[in-house]
Amino acid sequence: MNASKRAYPVAKVGDLAQGQHMVVAVRGREIGLFNVRGRYYALPNACFHQNGPLCKGAVSGTIIASAETGWKRTWGREGEIVVCPWHSMEYDVMTGQCLAYPKRRLPTWEVRVEGDQISVLM
Amino acid sequence: MKDNTLSGHAHKKDGMIVVDVDVHAHETPAALAPYCEMPWRKTLEHLATVPARYLDIPGFAPSIQTWPSFPQSGGDRRNTVTSAAQMRQDLDDLGVDIAVLFPDHLLSHAAIRQDDYAVALARAYNRWLVEEWLTEDNGLKGALIAPHHRPEAAAEEIRRYASHAHVSAVYLPTCTVDPLYGHRRYDPMYAAAQETGLPVMLHSVTAVHPNFPFNLQGYETVFAAHILAHPLALIANLVSMMETGVPERFPELKIAFTEGGVGWVPWIMLRMDKEYAERRRDVAVLKDRPSSYVRKMYFATQPIEEPEHLGDMATLLTLFGGEDSVMFASDWPHHDFDHPSKVLQIPLSDAARRKIMGLNAMKLLRLKEPAQ
Repeated sequence: MNASKRAYPVAKVGDLAQGQHMVVAVRGREIGLFNVRGRYYALPNACFHQNGPLCKGAVSGTIIASAETGWKRTWGREGEIVVCPWHSMEYDVMTGQCLAYPKRRLPTWEVRVEGDQISVLM
Repeated sequence: MKDNTLSGHAHKKDGMIVVDVDVHAHETPAALAPYCEMPWRKTLEHLATVPARYLDIPGFAPSIQTWPSFPQSGGDRRNTVTSAAQMRQDLDDLGVDIAVLFPDHLLSHAAIRQDDYAVALARAYNRWLVEEWLTEDNGLKGALIAPHHRPEAAAEEIRRYASHAHVSAVYLPTCTVDPLYGHRRYDPMYAAAQETGLPVMLHSVTAVHPNFPFNLQGYETVFAAHILAHPLALIANLVSMMETGVPERFPELKIAFTEGGVGWVPWIMLRMDKEYAERRRDVAVLKDRPSSYVRKMYFATQPIEEPEHLGDMATLLTLFGGEDSVMFASDWPHHDFDHPSKVLQIPLSDAARRKIMGLNAMKLLRLKEPAQ
């Protein structure tokens, strides 16, 4: 952990069950806070495409079609993909990677849990 | 109604007037029924009992969805606007001063196959629009549906409402229209529009048909159909109008194209000029190259192209004089709406930006600046 970063308390563990996400404010920025199978992730609430409120979108899986699936459409990555409510741009919650644009990755922030306190490191 | 997700996303306007030439009022069969003549009122009353899906009610919005749909945008963003007050609020959130209303379901009006019913629906929509949406001086402007199925009836509608303070355009339902809009049967409609000064606005939608515009029904995804149905419908009709000399025969008629983006404009303009050089005799009604007429037409931005380098958009506009003919459109509240910021990001001079964001539309629609 970078010593210059500060922990900003944003929620209690009880506020965010597995599979849920919420938008919180940290230092004047809107941050999406996600609980994916018990691990926490933070993304900016802003889609690079048209600046839509990404983290107010739904979290789901997505369609995967590749050599590994025999080029057939399959459903996968349930609970790991957030979809922008404006134009359906998809992002990997855990890495910030945009699925449609290989060169676009949103910044992410480390999330720390101490006791029942969830904090974003920024 | 849930949060529409627009709040807090208004752009800085710096005194700029923003006109949005394409937003959508949601006209349900139940809403139109009281405005519709008999016996078609019975049809609308019946359709009101049919479960509605987005933009798709059989016999009213006859789009056939032949592709599987995967879940798209999440969250709770609504994709209909059901009242003038709600639209005004949304436009405020978007930073839009003036907007032109088009319908939702009746985007597919051209596909309706029974002329009497098509005319009755258009009349009902126009009555409803004027009485429910255009009652205040609040920046909401209306585009009348011209029931082109019977051009004399369309001309009547245009003349009936042309003097209304907030009726600003004539909407020509474009996708699947047959015959194309260059056909001489439509002349009475164009004569009425020219005489009254109302511009005609061709508006596209995703609809496929075995012969319009070409065999798009063969695609297996919305991805493919949505890419081509919109611009090809506009292109096919523009070429048709050029072929019969509509812009030469109706020199004061103002013609606009909406919901196909703008990337296709220089391409078809140059294709037409190329052909004209060799086949001027085919289209002797034209007095100059097709591009000279295209440069007097208007084009709405949505769905705006989004190249990696936005400077490419500025270059593209120079290819067809777009600074003086392109108009911002959001298509709010549809799935593929464009936020004004996307158009504002194109690197243009301040003067060009003001024209594209509002002044070109004000010229087309003959609007005065709103009182501050």
